[in-house]
This record gives sequence, structure tokens and C-alpha cells, in this order.
Amino acid sequence: MRVGLISATALLVGMVPGLALALNEAPSLAEQVAAGSLPPVEERLPASPEVITPLNEVGTYGGTLRRVLGGSNDHNSILRIVSPQGLTRWKADFSAVIPNVAESWDVNEVGSEFTFHLREGMKWSDGHPFTADDIMFFVEDLLHNEEFYPNPPARFVVDGETMTAEKVDDHTVTLKFAAPYGTFLTELATPLAQEPVLWAKHFCQQFHPKYNPDVQASVDATEAVEDWPSLFRLNCGEVEAPNRWANAERPTLDPWIVTGDGYSAGSTQVVMERNPYFWQVDTDGNQLPYIDTLEMNVAVDNQTIVLEAIAGNIDMQRRRIDNLSNKPVFAENADKAGFEILNMTNSSANVMAIHFNHTHKDPVMRELLRNKDVRVALSLAIDREEIIDIVYQGQGEPYQIGPRPDHVLYNEQLGRQYTEFDPDRANELLDAAGYAERDSEDYRLLPDGRRMAFNIQYTGIEQPDWGDALEIIAQHWQDVGVEINTGSVERSIYYSRGEANEHDIMVWGAPGGLDPTLSPRDVISVHPQASWYAIPWARWYLSGGTEGEEPTPSMKERLALYDAFKKEADQEKALDIFRQIHQIAADEFEIIGVSLAPDLVGVVNKNLRNVPDQIPASWMYPDPGPTLPQTYFYAG
Amino acid sequence: MIWRYIVKRIIWMVPFLFAVSVVAFLLIQAPPGDYLTTYIAKLGESNEVLDQATIDNLRRRFGLDQPLYVQYLKWVANLLQGDFGMSFEWRQPVSDLVWERMGLTFMLSFATLLFTWAVAFPIGVYSAVKKYSIGDYVATTIGFIGLATPNFLLALILMYIGVVYFGTDVGGLFSNEYKNAPWSMGKVIDLLKHLWLPVVVLGTSATASLIRIMRANLLDELSKPYVDTARAKGLSEFWLIMKYPVRVALNPFISTIGWVLPNLVSGAVITAIVLSLPTAGPLMLQALLSQDMFLAGAFVLLLSSLTVIGMLISDILLVLLDPRVKYE
Amino acid sequence: MSELAANAPLPAQSDKKADEFAYASQWQLTWWAFKKHRLAMIGLWVIGLMYLIAIFSEFFAPDDPFKQNRRAVFHPPQMIHLIDRTDDGLRIRPYVWEMKRERDPETLAVSYSPSGDKVYLRLFGRGESYKFWGLWETDLRLLATVKPRDKFFIFGADRLGRDMFSRVMYGTRISMSIGLVGVAISLILGITLGGISGYYGGRVDVVIQRLIEFVLSLPTIPIWLALAASLPPGWPIVLQYFVITLIVSLIGWTELGRVVRGRFLAMKNDDFVVAARLDGASEPRIIFRHMLPSLTSHIIASLTLAIPLMILAETALSFLGLGLQPPAISWGVLLKEAQNIRSISQAPWLFIPGGFVVVAVLAFNFLGDGMRDAADPYGQ
Repeated sequence: MRVGLISATALLVGMVPGLALALNEAPSLAEQVAAGSLPPVEERLPASPEVITPLNEVGTYGGTLRRVLGGSNDHNSILRIVSPQGLTRWKADFSAVIPNVAESWDVNEVGSEFTFHLREGMKWSDGHPFTADDIMFFVEDLLHNEEFYPNPPARFVVDGETMTAEKVDDHTVTLKFAAPYGTFLTELATPLAQEPVLWAKHFCQQFHPKYNPDVQASVDATEAVEDWPSLFRLNCGEVEAPNRWANAERPTLDPWIVTGDGYSAGSTQVVMERNPYFWQVDTDGNQLPYIDTLEMNVAVDNQTIVLEAIAGNIDMQRRRIDNLSNKPVFAENADKAGFEILNMTNSSANVMAIHFNHTHKDPVMRELLRNKDVRVALSLAIDREEIIDIVYQGQGEPYQIGPRPDHVLYNEQLGRQYTEFDPDRANELLDAAGYAERDSEDYRLLPDGRRMAFNIQYTGIEQPDWGDALEIIAQHWQDVGVEINTGSVERSIYYSRGEANEHDIMVWGAPGGLDPTLSPRDVISVHPQASWYAIPWARWYLSGGTEGEEPTPSMKERLALYDAFKKEADQEKALDIFRQIHQIAADEFEIIGVSLAPDLVGVVNKNLRNVPDQIPASWMYPDPGPTLPQTYFYAG
Repeated sequence: MIWRYIVKRIIWMVPFLFAVSVVAFLLIQAPPGDYLTTYIAKLGESNEVLDQATIDNLRRRFGLDQPLYVQYLKWVANLLQGDFGMSFEWRQPVSDLVWERMGLTFMLSFATLLFTWAVAFPIGVYSAVKKYSIGDYVATTIGFIGLATPNFLLALILMYIGVVYFGTDVGGLFSNEYKNAPWSMGKVIDLLKHLWLPVVVLGTSATASLIRIMRANLLDELSKPYVDTARAKGLSEFWLIMKYPVRVALNPFISTIGWVLPNLVSGAVITAIVLSLPTAGPLMLQALLSQDMFLAGAFVLLLSSLTVIGMLISDILLVLLDPRVKYE
Repeated sequence: MSELAANAPLPAQSDKKADEFAYASQWQLTWWAFKKHRLAMIGLWVIGLMYLIAIFSEFFAPDDPFKQNRRAVFHPPQMIHLIDRTDDGLRIRPYVWEMKRERDPETLAVSYSPSGDKVYLRLFGRGESYKFWGLWETDLRLLATVKPRDKFFIFGADRLGRDMFSRVMYGTRISMSIGLVGVAISLILGITLGGISGYYGGRVDVVIQRLIEFVLSLPTIPIWLALAASLPPGWPIVLQYFVITLIVSLIGWTELGRVVRGRFLAMKNDDFVVAARLDGASEPRIIFRHMLPSLTSHIIASLTLAIPLMILAETALSFLGLGLQPPAISWGVLLKEAQNIRSISQAPWLFIPGGFVVVAVLAFNFLGDGMRDAADPYGQ
């Protein structure tokens, strides 16, 4: 996907001397300049603004991009379109990271110190300069402040030591770790790692006791606020919380900034206007973004958002309406309402992963579920083609887990072993494994005389397709003498039951199709709330062996490899480590899948330009942000 | 007499609300886990892993690491000072969030109540007086179709038809240009234009119920001997019905005033979700689902208080309307 | 009603019919009055038929309602033709046109077109075998295809290709049973506690009223959520739902209770009550024989109003992860599954179960009307 184009962009970055380009600005801003309420564009942009090569063509200014926020709290939908403006960002094809807020960087030999070069003359959205001091403010006054962060976030901690920073000059700053941190630059491109450049020192320092000795007075005067960190966060926002979009006063580095009351629980609409100080231009020197306004209405129910889409009230979105079953409805209304169907590449490996609890509390069940032959049999007993045809509109192919076939880390064995439908072989395997006895209703019996029956839980409100697929799987497994009782539960109940390790089998999403190194939880037990096949192993790993349960030697080997991966600065070597991990996981065959996750759908206004034909859909790559919505524009 | 009764009832409200606060707190805490469990769950769905350090920070920040009774006492202590606390999920003061929603909820409840009564009262009387006439059957059938259709399904279908065939707005109470605008004449007119759909959808089942109740009670009264006596005395049929039977039959209407509001908030929550109504229901449901203790607690307490007040009003009206009811 | 019997013509009039009338028990009198009410009789028949379906759903359903069919996803309803035009002339033989599925590769919409073949049907045919009430195995179906492998879809098929007609038949069983138990419990509690509160007044009244207020003033949603969490995951779905229904009814009685209390309060000093009291009638007798009958209309009305709410309760509760869940089938579950834009625009036949709810509710209502009229002490 557009690889050639993006690397060209990367080459352009920093190569064009800023003032060699004649800069242009949106008409609305030009008016304000003429009226004297805004400095001229040359003064608002950095000396060398980032020059973006638009995907297809240089655009024109104007227009409103309409989206719909779902749920009651959908602040991440705003983040996705505005894009988390961190030090680094993803290439549009999700293959590597490139500079973003930072103009460039140097890494020391071992990979433990990262020197970022910032753009000279770059400004916050209120016109105040953005400098190395802002990053120093984050590191020294917040990250190392125990009142603000009683425990520093793990992404800024290596070997138990918190990241430190050194200001080289006003536009250069070095971030230092106690040991090599090979994945740091990648980490900075993920949506929640924006903190180093989230807070403007000149504005936020008024809520910090170091700079404002009277801060306690403001704390007392503000309702519901009990200490200065709360006051700070209420006014300056934080990552992963709606309050970052609630204060129009807060300076940002984003292409659009909120207006009015911003986003709160009471909002029915959030409007964002262009940031006059945004620091990117196109190849003709036009300041980005092209589009004037983002208008996001709030609709709670997903079906209502589908209605908004077919009414033509959405200009670009896939969030909350991306289920394939909506495609026929969209297709029917597309011409009339003036939109086209947006194809999104699913970044997941599978539509659903079936986790067998390897750490079951009941020894008989544990022995059963830890038997690889049993898992193979259960996998062979599923007619995946039937499920794909009925539940997934025929889109997909039988698949287990692991990177998708077009990914560089693709492992065929991990992805495709035992996906054929072979109930006879399944019966043989189960018989041979010692479960040949059957009861009066023809179900198999466990050695202690109980029926071979599993309780399977899933979150049916969010994922109704899992319920449909499980109903079909129930019939397939019944044909080989295995009973399942499925139950849809509310999300938090699902979690507490899983965390208590009370499940036989859990169904959950299977990420890691396009982002295998960022979401490895299905092949390594690293996630205490999603590696459902072995939660106690994940606890054991995260607690350094003091809690949970010691994993199998095979898993311990993978966990050790994963530790090595995180420190490896050499990209190729790092990938090789992951290949080993995948191979071991393929041989162990701990969890099974159903179908390679098919494309997702969205809608896009047919006049909107510079939108790629195919966009990866992921959280780690917070689509559509990395495709640079600031370069979208309306034709005609 | 009645004043003493009212004062007594108001004094009653103090221990009553205290009990409500305890039960509300316990109910909100009853599902396993706490706000952080759901927060982690939500992030987990988008494949984000929250590290243990961050989880510990949040737990301490929200006071979730403290025992339940401490959390309760802190909440109540703040409440007594008029401080509803900070919403976990929105990270904003609760009172800002609650009042925004309660106003529109009130307005919508009132509009729906008016609609329901305006439609149900005459049809109910007509149905009873002209029992088993064509009109009665039509009203009955339509009423029960309304009652037997889930509200939100009706909402979805009406919106679909509106959008696909008439190009109307999808749900909501305001057009786009008025959503964030300050109140003005235009905004009020815009609101009235959007109000019919939620009022009709929310009102159908309530109207059907009230028609049936009105009809049934009036039938009970009309067949009593005193009506025949009055008719024999030559009273006009209209006054005959209005003067006494209708007043008695109103009794059940009045008895239900008390819970009109909570019904419209928790009963209509799903309709409000489907119609994207900016009322209290969806926000309260969301807060409860994510165990956003202070936000959910504020809604539950407010609704409970309003219900108690509503029931007091209905009791007073019962006395005023029906001279036979006495208070000892 | 005893008054009515007492006012009846005396036996001395010696007409056979009058004789019967005079010696008829109160129930018989009520029944005679009821029979005259035509709509009530229709209601009774409809309800009788529905219970027949509920009891013998397997027999009425042509197919296994749980069986997915990849060749019938969103299959539209088929018309049954009776007269078959063949080369040998006209014959009376029910059949449907067989349909073939196609999927548009671009839009993914499925469409069906006739393949030109006929699927013949037979009354009391042999379908897939089933275990009737878990007792004995049979394969007798009301309507079945002549060739066992063929399928037909009177009400169309759902998103998994399951036969809607069979699902509606099975859904009758749960919809016409569990919810009604809840309605009955609410009724008994409401009348008893509301009656006691209104009749005695004083301290009893205060206690019951505060209890009602308390239950009513707690928004129901947190109660549901707490409940959802506390139900053990191992329980069968239908049992879980039954428990939920019980709890719905434990909350639901309050509204009726308040109304009954209001009416009793107003009525307890009315002449006929005072008269009965002076007459030395026992208190339960006063409540149940004298005061309650004048509330029958209201009670029957609120009963018939509660039934659709109970049948549909699971559609609303399912939003909270409560309520009846698939694979269990009820009308509410079927409607819930249809509750999306795709069904509205691509498969409107999925709303057929809604028609059954309406018919059932109307039948109950007319039955209630008839009962009220028949039992009316002052009625003609």
C-alpha cells in the first residue's frame, strides 16, 4: 500500500528549506491576518515546516468533515481523526515509524539514548513557541513527580529506572534509559505515548505547585477537585480520557482544535476548527489542514450511526459501523446519499480466537485442555467454511492465529494448520486420547464420569457474530460428542470471570494480524486481561515470578525471547526473534481460530479526496489518523 | 390537617434518602470489579494493554484502593457539602454533567406526559361510554399494537422510514446548526420540530395503558347504581359522566404521577439510546455499566428524590380530588 | 355476585330454562354471560390455539429451529400453492417454488431466484425426528416436505438460514408461559398488600407505603445490573430467565399495589362496605367479596397491560446482558434479533413474531373484557 509514496515523503522531510516555499493559508485565516488578529503565516509556521506530499493531489481549502461519535464516551474517535501528534508517527502503510513532531532523531550505539531534534520556530495552537522546555517539563516536573505519577507508566521505565531527559539546546533534547530500549521509537507512535509533547509548559505550569505556589487556592475553589494533579488534568487533559478534548483553552499541536465546551458527557455535538499554527504544509506550500471544520455529532446506538451513514450524514468513518453485515445496506444507499464504501484492512488475525484454559483449576479439565490432540481434534471438528459463509458473508478463509499472509512475519503453520474440516479424524484423535466412552445422549465422558462439556463465555452485546458462530460450532462439536453451553455476558462480568480464572473456554478477538509485535498476547502469555488461555502465566511473567503460576518450559522460552526482543535495537534481528516465538507457538497450538479476519467497511463521501482506497484498521495504528486527514479535501 | 401531613412526609424524606443512598451505593458496587475493571476491559477491546503502574495510579487517584465503607462515607460527606465528586470516566465534575441532562429529561418527560394525557383521557372516556362501538375497537386495537411493539424497535423503524424515504434527521432533539447554539426562538422551534418523534415513540405504550385503565375504571363506576339514580334525575349525560365517575376514575392516573419521571428515565433508556436523546437515561446506563460510581450515584439519588416528591404530590392530589380519601 | 343469584327469577315460574337459571351455580351464570360475548370467545379460541402450539411446538414446526442452513440465509417467505399444474393436468397438491441463493460479490447482498423446481409438501408428513417432551421419538410434523432433504420457509429464514416459522412455533412455548407466571405473582402481591394498606390504614399503611415508595424510587437499571452479575453462569438460560421474571414481578407489584390502595382508601367508608361491616362480615370477606369486585375492571386492564410488557421484557433486558438469550427462543428473542437496520431494509419478514405478540395480547384483552362483563355485579 503506497509504500513508494510514503518513503518519498520521508525523504522530503527537512530537505526543503522552509522559506524556499511561498507559504499559503486558508482564506479564513488570511482574513484574520488582514484584520490584524493573527500574525502572518510565515511567522506562524516553523522555519522548516514538515512538507507533506498529498496522496493524490494538492487540495483546496474549505469544507466540513462530518463524523459521528458513538457510545457515551467515544473520545478515541476524536483522537483517531485528529491523530495523536507524538514525536514519531506511523508510515501510512503501517510498516515503520517516521518523524512527526520531532524533525529527526539520533540514537546512541546501544539503543538507550534518543536525541530528538525539534523544529525551530514551531508553535503551540495559541502561538506560543514549542521548545525542548515543554519536553523537559513533562519529564522532570510530571514523570518524576510522585504526586502526579505515583508509579511512572511502564513505557517510560526500563530495568526499573524511569526515563530521564537532558536539554541540549532549545530545539534538541535527549531522552535516556538505563538499558537498551529497541522498541522505544515504535512505542512513541502508538496512540497513548503522546505524553512527552502533550502538555504546553507555559499554559499548564499554572496548575503545578512548583511554578504556582498558590495552586492550592485554585484547587479549593474548583468543585470535585481535591489535589493539584486533578486540577492539572481537568484543565490540561491527559491521554486516554475525554477531558483532553474538553478545554478549548488548552494549547495543542493538533491540526484542529476544539471549540466551545468541547467534548463532555452532555455533548450532542463536538466542533473542531483549524489550528492556525499547524506546522505542516503541502508540496505547494499550502498550510494544512485543507478542511476547515470537523463536526462530530453524538449518537449512542450503533444502529443509529448506520442510519446516519445511509442518510449521507457521515463524510468518513468506519468506527462502530464497520461490520461486514452492513455492507449490503450501505451499497443500497450509496448512490442516493452520495457516499462510497470505504474498505478497511482488518489488522486482526482472526475474527475470533477460542482460548482453551491451560491453567484450569479443575485437574481433569486441565489435563483435557492441555492435551494437544484434543485441541487438534476440536479444531478439525469445525466446518470453518460453513461459518464463514453464514456469519461472515463468505468473506474470509479458514485460519488460526498469527500474522496475516501478506505480513513479513507470516508463519504458514501457525496460521493454517488443522483448519481442514475432518470430523472422522477428530473422532479418532479424541478416542485415542482416552475419551472414547460416551453417555446415553452420545456425548463423550471424562475419566471421572462427567460429560465432556464446556462453558463458553463471550461478550454478545459488542460481538453478536461470536454468538452466531458459536451456535454453529456447538452443532459441529456435538457431532463429535462434545457439548458446549454458550453464554453472552456483560463485558465487565466477562472480565471478572476471566481474571478469576473460572472459565473453561473464552472467546475473544485475535489481534496481531498486521501488528504481531505490538499485540503478541495470543502467542505469548503477556496480557493479564486477554491471554485467556493462561491468565496465571501472564501474572507470573508480569510479577517477575512472585504471583500466578509458572508457565510451561515452552512458554518460558517464548517469554525470554520476548524480553530479548524488546531490547534488540537491530530491526532484522528483532524480527528473527519474533519468528522463533511464532514457530514455538505454532508447535504448541494453544488456541484456535475460525476465519482470517475479513475487510471491514466504512463510508466515505464521494467528493472527499486523498483518502486511500484501502486503510489498515487498528488501534495501534489509530486509523485514519496516520493517513493524514489534514490532507483530505473536497473536490469541486 | 393536610399541612401537617405534608410536613411529616417531608421529614420522612431525610432517613429515606439516607437509606436510598446506602442501597444505591451497594447496588452500584454489586457487580464484580470496579470502574477500573471496565476501563481495562474497554481498552483491552481495542488491544491496548494498561500497565500495572498506570492501573495502580488510577486506583489510588479514584480512591478505589480504600475499603467500601470509607468510599461510601467520603461520598456522602462530599454530598452533604453539595459536591457530587468527579466522574471516573469523564474525569470532569459530576454536577456539570448531571444538570445538563436533567433539564432536557424534565422537559421531555413533561411533554410526553401532556401528550399521553391529552390523547388517553378523551379516548378512554369515549371507549368506556361507547363500549364495544367501532371506535372503541379501533382505539383498543391501535393501542395494543402500540403496546406490543417494543418502543425502540418502533423508533428504529420510524427513523429508517424517515431517513430513506423523507430525508429527515436521524434522532436527536436538535438540527445540526442548533446543537451547540445558545437558546433562541429558532432553537425552540427547532426543538419542537424534533420533539414529536420521541414523544410519540415514548408516548404510545403509555397512552395505550392509560386508555385501558381509564376505560376500565370508568366502566366500573358507570355501572354503579348512583349513576342510574343521577340519570333518572335528568342530569345531562355529559355532566353526569364528568361530575363524578370521571373524577373517581382519575384516581389511578394520579396514583401513577409519582413514577412518571423515573419510568421515563429508566424505562425509556433504550429508546433514548436509539433516538440519541440527550437525556439522563443513556448517561446513567453508561455510568452504571462502567461503574462510574459518583456519576451513577448522583443520577440514582436525584431520581429517587424526584420520585419521592412525585409520590407526595400524587398523594396530595388524591385528597384534593376525591373527598372520600382522608388522612388520619 | 351472590346478589345476582338472589335476584334471579324464582323457581315458581316453572319454565325449564328459568329453572336451570335459578339453580345454576355462580360459575355457570358467569360462563353463560361470557359466551354471549363474541370477541371474548374468539379471544379464548386464539389463546387455546396458542397454548396448543406451545405444548406441541415440535409437531407444528416443520423444521429444527436451531438448524443453520448456509443455503437459506435471509431466505424470503414462500407462498404455498395448492393447485399443481403438471403435464397430467391439474392436481391438488401443495407445493412451493424452490429458490436458489446468490450473493453479490461486491455488495455482499444475498438474493434468491426461483430455480424452476417445485418442493412438494404433505400434511402430517415425516420430517426430521425429534423427541417429544423428551419422552418418545417421532418424526410426525403438521406440514413437511415430501422429500426429506427439501426445505420450505413460510415465514422466510433468518440471518443464519433458520426457518422462522419453526422458530415462531417454538417461541410460543416460552412467551406464553414464563412471563405469565410473573404477571400472576405481581397481581397477587399487589392486590394483597395494596388492599391491606388501603383497608386498614394507620401504621400498616405507613409501613407498606414506605416500602412501595422505596421500591419504586430506586431506578430499575442498577437493580438489573446487579442481578446480571450475581446469577451463576452455569445455570441453564431458561432458569436464569425465570429467576429474572420472578424478580421483575417482585418489583412490579408496587404500581398495582398503589392503585389498589388508593381505591380502597376511597372506598372503605362507602355505604356498601360499611353495610357489610355492620352485617358482621369478616374482613377477608369484605375485601375479597365486596371491595375487590368493584376493582375488577382495573385489575383485568392492568393484567392485560402487563402481559405484552412481560412478553417483550427480554427485548429491553437484553440490552443489559440480561433477559432471555439465544440459543433459547421466544418471541422477544426473535424480535430482538431483528432489531437492526439490516433486517429492516433487507429482511422485513423477521418482524413476523411481532404480529404474534399483538394477536396474543389482543386475545388476552378481549378475553379479559368478556370476563369483566360476565362477572360484573351490575351488568345486564
